[in-house]
Amino acid sequence: MSCSPFDLRDYFLQELADPQQRRQVESHIAICRTCHEELDRLHMTEAALFTLREEEIPQRIAFVSDKVFEPSPLRRWLAGFWNSSARLGFASAAMLSVALVVFAATRPAPAPAPVPTATATVNTADIEQRVQTAVDKAAQAIEARYDAKTTQLVNAIRQKDLRERRLMTASFDVQSNYLEHRLQGSETALRTLRGGLTQAQLRDAEGEKQ
Amino acid sequence: MIFRAVEDADLIRQAARGNVESYNLLISRWEKRVYNYLLRITANREDALDLTQDVFLKAYQNLRKLDNPERFAPWLYRIAHNEAYSMFRKRRPEADVDEMEPVGTELGITVGGSSVFPIELSLAVASALERLSPEQREAVVLKIYQGFKFEEMSEILECPVSTVKSRLYTALELLKVELAPIQARGLS
Repeated sequence: MSCSPFDLRDYFLQELADPQQRRQVESHIAICRTCHEELDRLHMTEAALFTLREEEIPQRIAFVSDKVFEPSPLRRWLAGFWNSSARLGFASAAMLSVALVVFAATRPAPAPAPVPTATATVNTADIEQRVQTAVDKAAQAIEARYDAKTTQLVNAIRQKDLRERRLMTASFDVQSNYLEHRLQGSETALRTLRGGLTQAQLRDAEGEKQ
Repeated sequence: MIFRAVEDADLIRQAARGNVESYNLLISRWEKRVYNYLLRITANREDALDLTQDVFLKAYQNLRKLDNPERFAPWLYRIAHNEAYSMFRKRRPEADVDEMEPVGTELGITVGGSSVFPIELSLAVASALERLSPEQREAVVLKIYQGFKFEEMSEILECPVSTVKSRLYTALELLKVELAPIQARGLS
């Protein structure tokens, strides 16, 4: 049973979305030998599973459009229209139009608006300053957003690279273990063969003496 | 002029309007993955190929019902899952689908032209996968080989995330035990 603060399997399967939680697990793995070994076992199992490679599809799939069965362009447009979000927009617009017509027909005529006595003075410099401030603010927000996005991408690439390296290391471990075992098996077979040969030679020598 | 990659969502929208070429392009992006998913759960190449064709035909017929093109992958795999289990049911209608095992044992025969792994290891892995229950195997295929998130797997398999996790974790425990001798000692 793992003593990790969060499920080690969730961490291994990239299902811990919170970076804080991932960091906690990583810190724990660095000091806990049991969890470190458990994570290694999971990586080895994954590496073994990946020895089964994807196969190419034996026959490519493609559909051919047959003009006989195709609906006319008008029907296709209508079908596309009624199956899209435009349908909702069209219905909303129609309802709004009806509501406006009803409102206009039933509403009493409005009283004439009072004539303004004075004209407000427009300060052009003030408006320009406000526009400039708003533009600066928007530019800063965009820059901040791009910075955050870049950092996020760099972190994601680093994580992926780390994972691939781990997987590759685990794959090499699996292969080296396998080859080592095969070598040991060959050596044992060779020793047995040599032992058998020696005994046969001894028997031959004894036979010659007799 | 602005160049940008054609997203799956663009192709889905065009295909839903009857553009067959867009749909063919979409197929070319997904057919290998869907075929390998079906191959792993049916363990039979012919069945996997037939089912892959059925899946893409059914997907085309129902493309307009896909509300959110971003959810295309789980939606497509849900169709693939249903088609595979429908085939299992047709073949053995009297049996419980949950208890069914794949008919063939072709998994792992092909290691891949450029594979650096010993073929025995691949066969041992294939054998270990076959010893899992169909649900456990499917969970491993969807997570490890196809890289889906738990939420997406829950959508594909139409079961709660807790069930998905339980199947996957049990499968991983079994695989760890099954493959440990290979990893530690090699094949005998």
